[in-house]
Amino acid sequence: MTILDEAPPATGRERPVPPTRRSLKPSKRRSVTAWLFLAPSLAVLAAFMVYPMIQAAYLSMTDYNLIRAAEWVGLDNYVELFQDASFWNAFWNTVLYAVVVTPITVVLALALAIFLDRQFVGRAFVRTAIFLPFIVSLGIIAIAWAFLMDPNIGLVTYWLSQVGVVSSQGILSDPNWAMPAVMFVGVWKNVGFYMVIYLAGLQSIPQELREAARLDGAGAWQRFRHVTLPLLSNQTMLVSVMALIATLQAFDQIYVMTHGGPYFKTETLVMLIYREGFQELRFGYGAAISWVLLLFVFLLSMIQYGFFQRRQVRF
Amino acid sequence: MRKHHGSARTGSSRRRPSLIAAAVVATAATLAVSGCAGQGAQQNTENDPNAKVTLSFWNGFTGPDGPALQQVVDDFNASQDRITVETNIMPWDTLYSKVLTAAAGNDGPDIVAMSAGRIPQYADEGLFQPLDDYYENADFDSDALAQAAVDASVFDGQNYGVPVNIATMLMYYNKDLFTKAGLDPEKPPTTWDEFAAMVPKLTVDDNGDGKPEQYAIALADHETVPMFQPFLWNAGGGLVSEDGTTSELASDGSLEALNFWVDLVKDQKASPIGLAGADADKLFTTGKAAIEIVGPWMTTGFEDAGLDFGLAPAFAGPSDDVSLADVVSMSVPASADETTKQAAYEFFAYWNSEEGQKTWAEGSGFPPTRSDVSSQVTSNPYPAIFGDPSVIDNSRTLMPGIAAGTTINDTIFYPTLQKALNGEGTVDELFTAASEQVQAELDK
Repeated sequence: MTILDEAPPATGRERPVPPTRRSLKPSKRRSVTAWLFLAPSLAVLAAFMVYPMIQAAYLSMTDYNLIRAAEWVGLDNYVELFQDASFWNAFWNTVLYAVVVTPITVVLALALAIFLDRQFVGRAFVRTAIFLPFIVSLGIIAIAWAFLMDPNIGLVTYWLSQVGVVSSQGILSDPNWAMPAVMFVGVWKNVGFYMVIYLAGLQSIPQELREAARLDGAGAWQRFRHVTLPLLSNQTMLVSVMALIATLQAFDQIYVMTHGGPYFKTETLVMLIYREGFQELRFGYGAAISWVLLLFVFLLSMIQYGFFQRRQVRF
Repeated sequence: MRKHHGSARTGSSRRRPSLIAAAVVATAATLAVSGCAGQGAQQNTENDPNAKVTLSFWNGFTGPDGPALQQVVDDFNASQDRITVETNIMPWDTLYSKVLTAAAGNDGPDIVAMSAGRIPQYADEGLFQPLDDYYENADFDSDALAQAAVDASVFDGQNYGVPVNIATMLMYYNKDLFTKAGLDPEKPPTTWDEFAAMVPKLTVDDNGDGKPEQYAIALADHETVPMFQPFLWNAGGGLVSEDGTTSELASDGSLEALNFWVDLVKDQKASPIGLAGADADKLFTTGKAAIEIVGPWMTTGFEDAGLDFGLAPAFAGPSDDVSLADVVSMSVPASADETTKQAAYEFFAYWNSEEGQKTWAEGSGFPPTRSDVSSQVTSNPYPAIFGDPSVIDNSRTLMPGIAAGTTINDTIFYPTLQKALNGEGTVDELFTAASEQVQAELDK
């Protein structure tokens, strides 16, 4: 928001700047001010995002173990990567995780937002309860859920056994259940955040539009389908892009809950980066996987952006 | 927003200098933070025998053995006034993931304790320096140490560690559960077949839901001291050959052992599948498993839980009855200078002295690293049991001196075992394929 306000906007609503003794043109002066305001953020971004990214790109072409000097190997890491079965396993696990978790999160966030947009007793409590998991550290959440899913003392295990689902080894070490379990925790953790974005979006929709639709005889579903949903396009884009990126980077709950097991069934790309780097001490190879992931995320985000660009709404 | 914008603009002639200054300071600060991380520590290679030295000692003895370790360190610090050892006790996982980054930033420990099985991997990466001259110094009395404990940290012909402990594994069995099953509580199984015959009695599924309430044995298949691997030795197989050049995972002995144990676990539910080491301990502690094969660190927990347990050597296989020995060793990072190294040597010597080992064994229950101390440990019966020559001499460390050992265990053996236990293929198919992966790791 700040960025949009600082940059000389095309709206033409700016008040003319009174003439000063300065020699700089007003528009130029404005952009200098803008850059100055941006400077601290840009410096932080450059130091902690751009520089490490470039560093990682360099590392991805080396054999490096943190202690010895990096040894240049060119594209060897990338060549090895595409022949590596554990890379493809992690890649498809990541895709599966993203493909399942992202739509569920977005749809659920929208449904919750619409439900919680109405007035009812205890609304604030329910909103807070749904948002709360987002604030709590994922590590703590994952430990709590690992307890709930423990094969011997877990409450979830007990509930499942009451409805006839018995897993002799606990949900998290059962190869068929481990992935759904970490997916469930991923959705549960983040849905509150996206719900809040949708709530804000809902409140920005002018009441007259829905009123007008009602007068025209539109039912609840039609009002949602033809008025609310299109006007929420901006939020849907934001939420979808953010949710997809978050799922492609799934790590913490998997690390704590399953460590990528049983036998790599829940190992995602970020888990693999961690394993190759910090356990196998192959930081160059880990960096190469990071770059492949980065390009993949970038590509998908651009596709999403292009898709939603045409659906953008302005009030 | 708009209001702020306006006022900033009108006041800009006076504010700009301070804004610029602020921006410059912020930029400089962030660049400084990111830019200057890797200043090399000054290398002082001279050995000054009178310099005061403080050694930071990282280890993972977070259990009941932690206070015993601290006691020995405190005694050492009090025994002289030149060297101070400061312990930093953290979970092993944390230690393994932190030690390399810390060392790379020249902010690492001066002494690191780690499972000897991991030392080759880190030594191969250049993290540690060889400590052969420690063993050459007669003052340090290394001849008294158990040979297996010393050999565990040898990699590529050089020794990179000095033992902290040697832990042998014995079979703990729950006498009450044996009695309840109609078995003689003084006659634990001595062979695989005897054990297999007891499984139907010791695995109990009361409510018939297919998930036993009690298991014959708690066998962990990941995150633990290796429980399955010694079975391979006892049928004439193993993970890799002794010289570390050939995979033995697909040998007849290995496949025989794996078939036997996987069938027992998978078909007869002798143990739950998917147990981590801590889960296995919990299962035995709570009386839900009749047997666990584990090291001396668990005795305190089992006693606190009020278990009436017996201790015996683990059942023998068709061709052997070797058990696992797990050694933790102390190493010195390659970046440490001579003064630091010599100071560390003095600590190592104190640790492995009769006095140090007596305190350690009494407090921790681990057998002492030297056999001449066993008889002096009187307040705790377990060091003598686990340190008995018949136990120590009949034990082997897993893959000593093999740099790929951790990778073979964690990313090949355990996942393949889990696949086999979950019925995703036969033992013969899965482990023959895994053997090729092991060979590829050894050939790297």
